[in-house]
Amino acid sequence: MTAETAPAPSDPDLSMGLRLQARQRHERSLEFLRVGAVWLVLILALTLALTQLRIEPGYLIRRSEVVLKIVGGLWTTILVSLVSVSIAAGLALVGALGRLSANPIAQGISGFYVSVIRGTPLLIQIYIIYLGLPQIGLQLQAAGFRQLGQLFILDAITSGVLALSLNYGAYMTEIFRAGLQSIPHGQWEAAEAIGMTRWQILRRIILPQAIRIIIPDVGNQFIAMQKDSALVSVMGVWEITYLANRSARLDSKYMELFLVAAGLYWLLTIVSTFFQSRLEKRMATAYER
Amino acid sequence: MSAETTGPEAIVQVAHLHKWFGLLHVLRDISLTVQPREVVVLIGRSGSGKSTFLRCLNFLEQPSAGTITVAGNRLHLEPGDRPARAHVAALRLCTGMVFQEFNLFPHMTALENVIEGLVTVKKLAKTAAVPIGERYLAKVGLLDKKDVHPIRLSGGQKQRVAIARALAMEPQVMLFDEPTSALDPELIGEVLEVMKQLAREGTTMLVVTHEMQFAREVADRVIYMEAGAIVEQGEPDVIFTRPADPRTRQFLERII
Repeated sequence: MTAETAPAPSDPDLSMGLRLQARQRHERSLEFLRVGAVWLVLILALTLALTQLRIEPGYLIRRSEVVLKIVGGLWTTILVSLVSVSIAAGLALVGALGRLSANPIAQGISGFYVSVIRGTPLLIQIYIIYLGLPQIGLQLQAAGFRQLGQLFILDAITSGVLALSLNYGAYMTEIFRAGLQSIPHGQWEAAEAIGMTRWQILRRIILPQAIRIIIPDVGNQFIAMQKDSALVSVMGVWEITYLANRSARLDSKYMELFLVAAGLYWLLTIVSTFFQSRLEKRMATAYER
Repeated sequence: MSAETTGPEAIVQVAHLHKWFGLLHVLRDISLTVQPREVVVLIGRSGSGKSTFLRCLNFLEQPSAGTITVAGNRLHLEPGDRPARAHVAALRLCTGMVFQEFNLFPHMTALENVIEGLVTVKKLAKTAAVPIGERYLAKVGLLDKKDVHPIRLSGGQKQRVAIARALAMEPQVMLFDEPTSALDPELIGEVLEVMKQLAREGTTMLVVTHEMQFAREVADRVIYMEAGAIVEQGEPDVIFTRPADPRTRQFLERII
């Protein structure tokens, strides 16, 4: 209402700037709408094609309890990926510090870990943990180490979480290492000059900066892991993929139910992407002019 | 035990300092004594070893051999020695350093930058550190910027915060490594003004700089270095108007 709300229209420079800005904004939203329209057409075309191929969308409504059951698997998928990505981040931090350490033992162990895990398929790792380790456990128990042997016999969910954590921990070790190395050397020097120890510098100066840099990559890994968690279905964990597979077999509705499963993963990715970008924006506040 | 070797007066004492970078002998037998409240300015062309020398004093660069004593903390190195961590830590506590590139911590506000050392190294409670930090920010004229992150500060302001960060640790000697070389010309003045004020207050300072006017006005002693050695030193009037060594004369003729 007062003078401060409206920019002085008499300033030709300002009014031209405002006009250009509005035009730019208008163009951007137009582009967004056009891309959205293409998406819509693609989805409609896909749906149409599927109905032509004796695929029966009506089945999903008729047997909504089956669909709901698969949706219920969402929680297991989310739980498994959330726990695994957290453990993986911990492993990755330790792994990255090991790789950057001057200590040959730390360097050797972390390098070996990354090489072996990245060099073998996740599915094989799952089999080794779920089916291979119990062999050792049974042998240990036969030798009289009952408690110790029990540690090697893991249920399906624990095996899945362990395999995903170890696997993603190795890939994320490299992400963390690159993140730590990307912090300019001057940051170390400035902190050393005021007398901080290596550990203090890492914790207070380097890590907070590195984390901001690696958030996009870690988010990317989390999004990938949500889909890789489908592999734990081979052990009979009741997550999306296992439930879809099982229900589909009963009624021979593979396309219908696997599309439901696919849609759920997609939705999960869209939601995660949204939160990731929000987190990135929040971490950027100290760096905005 | 080091008291007798230090001498009662000197705050910095360097004896027979050598530094090799691989096969490059960049510091050749440097000896130097700095008295309390003295302002010593090091000049010389780039690559003469003046920055390396400064960085050896607080072990950002590890000297290859020699003896460094700062405020009674004596560290002697034979070639191949590795210094004990505690010794290095003690040396760093009595030296404050200001860098060419400021090296402020970008994820912290100006005040957080200044009190970081007080909290993590000196283990002060945050409530005790904040007033000290504010005092030093006020000293460099930036108290109003205390909650601002470095990205929103100009180069000159960044360097003044960096000076406050070093001062807050209350070191016995301040080391300035080309503090104005990364600044736009119009921002150099405000940084030099802060440094002049420190000199007037009796801060012991070692300054590597290309600002000859500053050296002339503020230095108690000017040292000309070339090829890793001290060529000549003396009062600024003498060095700048009638240098004894032809190499000093040549350098000054080219630069002024």
